[in-house]
Amino acid sequence: MKTYLGIDVGSVTTKLALLDESNEILASTYLQTQGNPVDMIKQGLEEVKKQIPLEAEICGVATTGSGRALAGVMVSADLVKNEITAHAVAAMHCVPEVQTVFEIGGQDSKIIIIRDGVVIDFGMNSVCAAGTGSFLEHQAERLNIKIEDFGEYALRSKNPARIAGRCTVFAESDMIHKQQMGYPIDDIIYGLSQALVRNYLNNVALGKEIRPKLVFQGGVAFNKGIIKAINETFHTEVYVPPHNELMGAIGAAMLVREEMKNDGHRTKFKGFGVSQIEFQVSSFICKACPNLCEISQISANGKVLARWGGRCDMWERVEK
Amino acid sequence: MGVGIPHFGNVYIPVKAMAQRLGATDTDLIIPPSMTQKTLDLGVKYSPTEACLPYKLTLGSLIETCELGADILIQARGTGICRLGYYAKGQEQMLLDLGYNARFLTIDVSHHKFKSILQLIKDMTNNAPWPKIIAAFFFGISKLVALDKIERVVQKVRPVEWEKGMASRIYREAIKAIDEAAECKTVKRVSKEYIDKLNKVPKNDKAELIKVGIVGEIYVVIEPFANMDIEVELGKLGVEVERTMTLSRWVEYSLFLNYLGINEWRKVHKLARPYVDHDVGGDGWESVGEKVLYSRKGYDGVIHLAPFTCMPEIVAQNIMPSTREDIPVLAVICDEQLGKQGMLTRLEAFVDLLSFRRRRRNGARV
Repeated sequence: MKTYLGIDVGSVTTKLALLDESNEILASTYLQTQGNPVDMIKQGLEEVKKQIPLEAEICGVATTGSGRALAGVMVSADLVKNEITAHAVAAMHCVPEVQTVFEIGGQDSKIIIIRDGVVIDFGMNSVCAAGTGSFLEHQAERLNIKIEDFGEYALRSKNPARIAGRCTVFAESDMIHKQQMGYPIDDIIYGLSQALVRNYLNNVALGKEIRPKLVFQGGVAFNKGIIKAINETFHTEVYVPPHNELMGAIGAAMLVREEMKNDGHRTKFKGFGVSQIEFQVSSFICKACPNLCEISQISANGKVLARWGGRCDMWERVEK
Repeated sequence: MGVGIPHFGNVYIPVKAMAQRLGATDTDLIIPPSMTQKTLDLGVKYSPTEACLPYKLTLGSLIETCELGADILIQARGTGICRLGYYAKGQEQMLLDLGYNARFLTIDVSHHKFKSILQLIKDMTNNAPWPKIIAAFFFGISKLVALDKIERVVQKVRPVEWEKGMASRIYREAIKAIDEAAECKTVKRVSKEYIDKLNKVPKNDKAELIKVGIVGEIYVVIEPFANMDIEVELGKLGVEVERTMTLSRWVEYSLFLNYLGINEWRKVHKLARPYVDHDVGGDGWESVGEKVLYSRKGYDGVIHLAPFTCMPEIVAQNIMPSTREDIPVLAVICDEQLGKQGMLTRLEAFVDLLSFRRRRRNGARV
């Protein structure tokens, strides 16, 4: 059986999904990146290996997410794809009539506008991290509740507190103020959810024409409070696909399947043995010119596999 | 006495050529060092936060030329264009505060450009005879034209070359050779030589070529440091870029044809007219018109470069989505906070979008 592996290395979580030819998910994992993508990719591979059926043969591997370049070098991926395309492809597969995709992840949020099955526009937060998973997690921590319970609290709210959502810093101070005024925690949490949706609309979705059907994916789509706030804002039912957290990895796997079909190549994937290799990641400052670029490199067994981060291509060429 | 100019694309090459023709020595003209992180850091440190990237970069560059001994600085001035009109004043004050005793000579870029430039040269050369000035001026311009011609070929070769980086390497050599050419004839010969060399680079003819037009504010469009080498990065993604905004075009039209009543941007303004019918400052009006232009030319997409806090380009950015021409536009806001990784992710996604659209238009199932 031919299968395809998608690896989505995000800022907060690392996701892997193994798909067969009919897009059935055979194996998947969802791990916290914890600032250590190398170990998490290895651990993810281990877990997928445990789940895969015997007859599965891996015919293609793709990486995506902010850690895609690193992951791509580690496993020798056949395709390294940006997360916007990966998410769009997965959303179009799950919901063919989709016209708008909201994707809110750990540290970035995106909007993808689709018409007639083609991506026609997209947006990504650039200056503000308000409304992303990390911010919600931080606020949940401050309120001393688990992020998993965040949605439950929000759903109980009757009179949501009005919280400024222009900027995370203001949202936080406004939230503290409302707390000191004695607002119930449910109302503060739902107020915060509404503020974040407003922020998303004013930043990421600014000037975009939002039409149903709306698909909401990414880690934050687990949050029922945010879903409720979106539904109220758009007066529509937003659709959360069954594997919302895996969509990036699923999209990557689907893309590599197409790629391998077109080219008829054999996969470059190094195999699950990758999880046994010791990788060293290091960085240094190049002093060749006053740019002082920060170059990162990844090596295994004393051999440099790849370098990146320079303004010029001086360090990028690595002897194979 | 040393004359310094801020770094701006390849401008230093024609300026150097003119100076040499007029008998200037190495200490008379200070060539600004190429822009680096250091230039940006200096500029950011001594500029108001809300100033735009071109202001910060030119200030950083001027500080670097002062460090090398320049005491007369050349900067643009103008009225009604954008904050550029005040650059010289603000930067002069800052340099004074920093203890550099530099005098500013300004070129009026909104009126009488040609006269302003020639008068400036005459003043600086202690009244050199006009024929000599004009000859030197045209020698400089010939280099500028040659460089832009080569660059256009580079833009076409980059996306299709087999070995990535080859065209950029030849381009670097070409810049050096043009810079060193001492005669008009040599400039012509060198330019032809390098264009031939670029045309002979092994190419991948089968590659699906996506074409993108680059529009926006002149400084961030032309200076590769300001836009993080966007043209090179697009080349790596297999995209052919074109930009109407080149320095030689500016010289050709603003300096000569304007006097014949031909406005460099008349055609572009006409295209923009249904959506915005007057100058909005800076290059905003042109950006809107060029979007229409590239759509008419059958390009796949447009990349709109704008400095952060640039009012004219913000106006243009908000008008663009409402135009009838259906061509995707990606806005890239340039400032010191722009992360290269974030930009690359957006560029990649944009190029995917364009190629899906192209395939869909050609009737294929995506």
